[in-house]
Parts: sequence; structure tokens; C-alpha cells
Amino acid sequence: MNMRTIAAITRKDVVDAIRNRYLLTALITPLFVALLFRVLLPGDGSRSLLNIVVHDPGNSTLVAELRNTPQMKVVEADSADAIASEVEKRKAIGGLVVPANFDADVAAGKQPELTIYVNNKKSVFEQSAFRRLLDQQVRSLVQHPAPARLVWIDVDKESNEQSRGGVGLGQMLLPLLLIMTLGMIGAMVVPLLLVEEKEKRTLDFLLSSPASLREIVAGKALTGVAYTILIAGLLLVINRQLVGNWLLTLLSILFGLVFVVSIGLVMGSLLNNMMQVNTWASSVLIVLLAPTFPSLALPAAVETAMRLVPTYYLSEALKLSLAGSAPSRVWGHLAVVLVCSVIAFGAATWALRNRS
Amino acid sequence: MNAIEVENLSRAFNGVKAVDDISFSVQRGEVFGFLGHNGAGKTTTIRMLSGQLLPGSGNARVAGCDVITEQRRLKPLIGVVSEHQNLYERMSGRENLEFAVRLYGQDVRRVSETLKQVGLVERADDNVRKYSNGMKQRVLIARALLHRPEVLFLDEPTRGLDPVVGREIRRLILDLSSEGVTIFLTTHYMEEADQLCGRVAFLSEGRIVAMDTPNALKVAHGQNCVRVTLHNGESLSIALDRRDAGEQLKQLVNDGQVRTLHSAEATLEEVFIRMAGRGLSE
Repeated sequence: MNMRTIAAITRKDVVDAIRNRYLLTALITPLFVALLFRVLLPGDGSRSLLNIVVHDPGNSTLVAELRNTPQMKVVEADSADAIASEVEKRKAIGGLVVPANFDADVAAGKQPELTIYVNNKKSVFEQSAFRRLLDQQVRSLVQHPAPARLVWIDVDKESNEQSRGGVGLGQMLLPLLLIMTLGMIGAMVVPLLLVEEKEKRTLDFLLSSPASLREIVAGKALTGVAYTILIAGLLLVINRQLVGNWLLTLLSILFGLVFVVSIGLVMGSLLNNMMQVNTWASSVLIVLLAPTFPSLALPAAVETAMRLVPTYYLSEALKLSLAGSAPSRVWGHLAVVLVCSVIAFGAATWALRNRS
Repeated sequence: MNAIEVENLSRAFNGVKAVDDISFSVQRGEVFGFLGHNGAGKTTTIRMLSGQLLPGSGNARVAGCDVITEQRRLKPLIGVVSEHQNLYERMSGRENLEFAVRLYGQDVRRVSETLKQVGLVERADDNVRKYSNGMKQRVLIARALLHRPEVLFLDEPTRGLDPVVGREIRRLILDLSSEGVTIFLTTHYMEEADQLCGRVAFLSEGRIVAMDTPNALKVAHGQNCVRVTLHNGESLSIALDRRDAGEQLKQLVNDGQVRTLHSAEATLEEVFIRMAGRGLSE
């Protein structure tokens, strides 16, 4: 592959995309939303933790994990009966009653009952975050034993709560906006760059020039990468106080980028005109974004379906990375995204080879 | 050495043969006309010879390069002007040419020279969208010439242009030919082909049905005649190859019926109709 040719195509596309009103709108929408929320809700950058009251006579692994969750502050209640009043008194998001033999029952596959209180006076965003976190923790218990990190949490909890993350609107919004950026690039920008060349017959010119099809596609992919880096970078800079772990956050974006650009190349190779791209882009974007929206008491089947979409894992990886979680909690999600990216890249290669 | 050599080239789409076993060669510096109806296979041939489309079967060499195995060496040696005005419309004429120059790894300063050559200096920084058809066509030709190709493929270069721009482009084609550039031209305009091309090939349903110099084709396949206008307003056409043509003419002159009398050679269009069964505009 000739880098000079790829660079020429990328340079042309980067400039040309800004002049395309449709693409420009797609590119700046996440930035616009981020700025809008900063203007409308200037105080949202402060991180409120989710206070949760628990009664856990058996010192369960679940509660240990909750203590290890950067977004949560766990407070003990003396008895199960006191949970409701403690939740109200402490203005906590909710409460949890864990049976004494919870761990043993889980290990035996008995599915012990958990009683969960949710404070309805709290915002829907906080309630949603609470539900999601709790759900995530319970599932992780079944999948693999929780590691013991109690000492670490105790220190961190007292010394620097502000830096441990929270669930303010900004923090719920940032992963959504980052995935929206990736979605726009994958579902709209990359396919449009390819399809417009077909539709306007400029692809004929490119193919009669020294550029090979592989170089043309690489140029388009690189344009998508360049715009993602620019917009995601700006989003992170604007919301820098919300980034807990920069390295993991950037890694999550990078993995997501490979995935969405591959999706874009598949779409670009299969579709033939801009009308088709517009039609398909909306559907693909909805599917990609759906798992990243705060779940507001969705049916279990829908929640399960969301887990089939790779952006669910990307969203989880981003939320945990932004919250400053330990890498061990993020790797699993990133691994799923990476596998999906490899599959999508393979599909893109196959589609392009077939279409050429 | 020939600039273009084609042997038994074929290409089908969904089982329908667009180009069917064609063979020809074009000498260096020659203007070669490829004439045929819409769908006759002209553009498919250009796409195969310029490396945009792989042939189904057969061989072709352009500028000494195999069009299948030596595409990377071939492409800097050829220029293509598509029948579609495939420019980047949100970019200016200059930006379009600068992009092409970068693709070919040439010096960007060449853009200004080329803009001057095609008379577009004043409007070079306007969006291509604001250009007239003639101006767009000039940018297309400029883009194909930027890297000084040995072989230039021109697919309907004057279609839809006003006569003045058409004449300019025809002059440019002759200039390029005199500089040694080989030109492979497709056109619907028979007069244009007659005027520009050293040789022409007639293509019908993917096959070459005739190929020679325009004059040779007219002599071989045309019908020379005399057109006679009578005093009563009637107009007659008398084919000279008829046995009784002399007698018939003599009779008309002797009877004092003839008002005007003109010799009329066969046109390339008439030859084409005879060979292909219908005219190019049909």
C-alpha cells in the first residue's frame, strides 16, 4: 500500500466532509449536545456518589463488590427492617437486604432472593444507574468469583471520594456521546464517503488513477479515524473532570473505533447510493446506541437483547473507565469489543473483496 | 510498437456479453475512434483498458503494460476522461487538480500550468458546482493530462457541449496527437470522428463490425451518388454505381429539367447505419 496515495485520499475527504452539510451535522451533533448540557447544566460536573444502605449479616461477596464499585458508597444498616427508613434519612438511592447464606446459595445455584429498595425521590438517571450497577454485579457473581479488594476500597472511600467517579448526568451522558460519535462515524460518515464516490462516479476516476481499491478504502477508514479522534478528543477535553482512567478510556475508544469503522466499510461496500445510506444509517445508529441509553425499567428480554449488541460492552467499558475502575473490571468488556471488531473487520474485508 | 494491443477481449455482465471477442491495435500518436450505439460496449472497453475493470477473457496491453497484471505500472501512463463529469463538486477546479496531482505523486506547481493550458485560471478557485458543462469538461481533460500520459482515453468528450467548446476540445485533441499522445476516442458525433480519427472501429452489440480509416470505410461501404434538383422542385438521388446512372443523368440534362446537380459522397454515418443496422442517434 502506498501511504502517499492513502494520505492524499484522506486529506481530500477530511476537507470535503466539512463542506458536506449532512456529514458536518453528523460530526458535530455529539459536540453540540455536550456543549448544550454544559451550558444548561453547568453544575453537573460535580460527582454525586450513589449512596446505598445494606443489611448484610453474612458479609457477602456481592456487597464487597459493591464497596469496590467506584460509583457507590455503601452504608451498613443494623437490621433489614431499618433499611427503608435509613434510605430516606440518608437520602440514599436505595437499599439492599442480603440473606445471611447468600454466597453459599449462589455457589449452589439456588438463586437466593435479594430485596432491593429504590428511592423514588431520586432522579430517574440515578435510579437507572443504581439498577444497572446492581444488575451488573449480580451477573458478575454468577460468572466468576469476586476478587477481594476490601482494604483498597476502605482507603479510597475515605480519602478521595470526589475522584472515584459518580453518576451525575454528565457522567451518564459522556459514554453515550462518545458512542454516538463512534456510531455517526461508523453508520454515516464512512459509508457516505464510499458511497458518494460510487454515486458521483468519482470512484471511476480513483480506480483509473494509481490508487488501488485497498488504498481507497484505507483512505476512507483513516478519515473516519481522524474525525473520531478529533471529536472524541474534544468531548473528553470538554469533560476532562469526568475521566477517571485516561488510558482505559482511550483504549476503549480505540477498540470501538475499529469496530465502527469496519461496520462503516461493510455498509459502504454493500450500499450503492446515499438514499440507501440514509435509510440504513438510522437503523444501524439506533441499534448501536440503544444499549448505551440509561435503562429505565426495560423488560428483561429487551435488556438481554441489548447484550447482543457490541456497543453494550463498549458502553460498559467506557462507563467503568470513566469512573476510574480497576483495569481488571474493564478487560472483559474490552475483550468482547475486540472480538466483535475483528469479526466486523473480517466482514468488511470480505464485503469489499466481493464487491470489487 | 503499438500503444494499445487488444486480443480477443471479452466481458459479460450477468451472462450478457457487453464486449465480445474484440481485437485491434492502436499505434503510438494515433487518434483511434471507437464508435457505437449506447450499450454497444465502448465504455466497458475503456474501463478494461484503463484498469478499472478486469476482462472476462482475452489480453490487452496499453502503453506496454498488461492491463491485468501490470496495473500499478499502467495507471501513471494513462489518462481517462469519463463520459460522466465525475468531479468533486464541493471542491474548486484547482482543488480537484491538486488532489489528482497528489494521487499521481506529481509536483503541485503543475496545476497552475495546466489551468492555464485549458483556460481556467480565472475561475480556478470557484466551486466546480458553479461551472458550466464546458468548464467542467475542461477540468476533466486537465485532470487527465496533469501527469502527461502516453495514452489518453476520451469517452464522449464533446457530448452536450456548445459548438465553440466542442471545437476547442477537438483542437486540443489534435494538438495532443501531434505531441505523440495516443488517443482512444469514443463519440456519438460521426463528423467529429471523421475529422479527428486516423482510424475508426464500429462496435455493435459488443463486436467490432468494421475497422479502417474513415475514407476507406466510406469507399468500401458507402454509396456515392449525384443529387439532382429539378425545375419542378423535385429532388432525385442517383447512385453512381448503377449501370444506368449515366443514361439517366444524360436524359435529365438533355430534357432541360436540371436546376442544380451536386456530387454526394457517403458519410461515415451512412456507412455506420449500413454496418450496424441503425444510426447512432437512434
